[in-house]
Amino acid sequence: MGNSFFQSIRALFRLKPAQKLNRDYLISLLCAVLLAFLVGAGIMLLCGFDPIQCYGALFEGALGKPRAIGNTLAKAMTLALCGLAMSVAAKAGIFNVGGEGQLFMGALAAAVVGAQVKGAPAWVVVILALLASLLAGGLYAWVPGAMKVYWKVDEVITTIMLNSVATFFCSYMANGPLKTTEKGIASGTASIMKEAGFAKLIPLSNLTTAILFAAAAALFTWYLMTRSSVGFEMKLTGDNDRFAAYGGISAKKLMLWSMVLSGAICGLTGMLEVFGLHKRFMTTLSNEFYFDGMLVAMIMRYQPFGVILMSLFFAVLNIGSRSMELSAGISSEVILIVQSIIIFFMAAEGGIRTALQNRSAIRKARREAKAKEAGV
Amino acid sequence: MSEIFNVLLLQNTLRTATPVVLAALGCLMTQHVNITNIGIDGMMLIGAFFAVLGSYYCGSWAAGLAFAIVFGVILGLLYYVLVIRFHSDEFIIGVALNIFAGGLTTFLLRTIFQVKGSFSDPRIAPLPTIVIPGLKDIPVLGHLLSGNTLLVYVSWLLVPLCWYLIYKTPWGFHLRASGEYPDALEASGRSPERMKLSASVLCGVLSCMAGAHLSLGYLTMFSENMSASRGYVAFACVIFGRGNPPVVFLAALLFGFIEALGLRLQKYVPSDLTGMAPYLVTVLMMVAVVLWEQKKKGKVAKG
Repeated sequence: MGNSFFQSIRALFRLKPAQKLNRDYLISLLCAVLLAFLVGAGIMLLCGFDPIQCYGALFEGALGKPRAIGNTLAKAMTLALCGLAMSVAAKAGIFNVGGEGQLFMGALAAAVVGAQVKGAPAWVVVILALLASLLAGGLYAWVPGAMKVYWKVDEVITTIMLNSVATFFCSYMANGPLKTTEKGIASGTASIMKEAGFAKLIPLSNLTTAILFAAAAALFTWYLMTRSSVGFEMKLTGDNDRFAAYGGISAKKLMLWSMVLSGAICGLTGMLEVFGLHKRFMTTLSNEFYFDGMLVAMIMRYQPFGVILMSLFFAVLNIGSRSMELSAGISSEVILIVQSIIIFFMAAEGGIRTALQNRSAIRKARREAKAKEAGV
Repeated sequence: MSEIFNVLLLQNTLRTATPVVLAALGCLMTQHVNITNIGIDGMMLIGAFFAVLGSYYCGSWAAGLAFAIVFGVILGLLYYVLVIRFHSDEFIIGVALNIFAGGLTTFLLRTIFQVKGSFSDPRIAPLPTIVIPGLKDIPVLGHLLSGNTLLVYVSWLLVPLCWYLIYKTPWGFHLRASGEYPDALEASGRSPERMKLSASVLCGVLSCMAGAHLSLGYLTMFSENMSASRGYVAFACVIFGRGNPPVVFLAALLFGFIEALGLRLQKYVPSDLTGMAPYLVTVLMMVAVVLWEQKKKGKVAKG
């Protein structure tokens, strides 16, 4: 198995044409976003708020100050990594809904390494923690992946269940065996080596040098998925695994490895959160980040570049919604509703388009028939 | 030991299993028409919220239940329009529905009741508990069979009813046909789409009833994300029981038993570890049933 994986890595350097989101789809996306904003405005009006003021506060809060932009970028980083993780697996036809658990496992592993490895230079600690998080996330994804590939156990349910298992497990570790001895910390592991934490790029914001690691990971994933033959094989497997098998691709291995890669990216996301923001593992580390990223990936049809752009937009909504709550007074969850409406529209995009086309075709036929009648 | 294993444990089992049973019955309807509905969790959450809302403002549990059922119908219709009419990916819709439910209920909780986290109030009328006179005095069984809330009994009645409907009536036959072989159903002059519509509406109603039991049955409160992945567990129970109501019921009971046991063990074991158990068991259950089926298939192939 290992051998063929390395062959696949070597295959990275062979170029393959990229896939693009088509223009019609992007126009639909724009319409969906506008419609969802309109619905959101309707909700705001119903609750007695001024939509223009609310949306103004939203964009002001996300992009108004350098600090806000930093927070937005940091959020976009997390979303994009999660979205890419989802895309890698989904492209190969396996759905990883368990990224939240893998993220937690990666974060915990990184926090333990960061706190326990003593006397080593900071960069060694960072690299060790990086490896630990990749390994933890990857392994935790390997379990449902292997169950799917070898036993045909539906991965959607097992990954969701393993999410809960991981959250409980990490919460147990952070409150039990690994609980910090520091005073004033209610729950969480011991803090990591101080010098190893990532430096802030914009003061007071959440943006740290972690974004460089994220960018590297994103670039790697983008390259793997759209420019390499592995990406092409993944796509073939995802579209039709029997055809792929006929073409000499081992669909099982490819699916399993994409799942592991997906888990490893999630683990990395967890590590970046620990080393960038919290400097220790805490159970409040992620608030279903992965699910947001997953939806971003779905809307953008698992296209890496689109996922990154859409992450920026969703990050603006997410960060902006908090300051909108503070300054305009409306509960920030209204943005969650707006987001899910965008997703509903985009998921139904094909169907709505056909329905509209059919209707206009019928109308056209009727008009022509009438014109004929009048002419006769 | 007797402190853990006693009648109360079984009573708690029934209580915790009921929402899963109801949601699973809803889920198996869509499963029979070949829709993989993982949005039940969100439907439960919305049902739970509107049950509390109705019960709070009208002061009666019946209004709460009615609210939940009405929203169940609406959700079922929405699900039908998105998934069947517009041929959307059922998986995306399911996940989006769950997120939508989380956002909507939290938003409404904060806007209507002005609270964060959870809402409880003496004005919320709980579901009635029903005491069955004859059964009450039987030593052990009396505690189990009598004095449960309304929806517990409803769920018990629904299990055989659903089984009968699905396997013994023409309606159930058409329902299954629309999932297994829609072309044949179409050829016989019936619309598979209509069967799918009724399945998704039934699914919405049952899931919202499950939610109502969650918020009015044994807690009389609503808290954010109170469905806690139970919808997914219900889905796993349906897979485990291959859509057959009695088997699904047993699977849900097993889940309830493990959750109840976990709650009782909290004195001795950290709660995080006991909380893990139901989800781990669900995974193991899925693996077991798949392996068992493959073994059976292998035997058939060999024989």
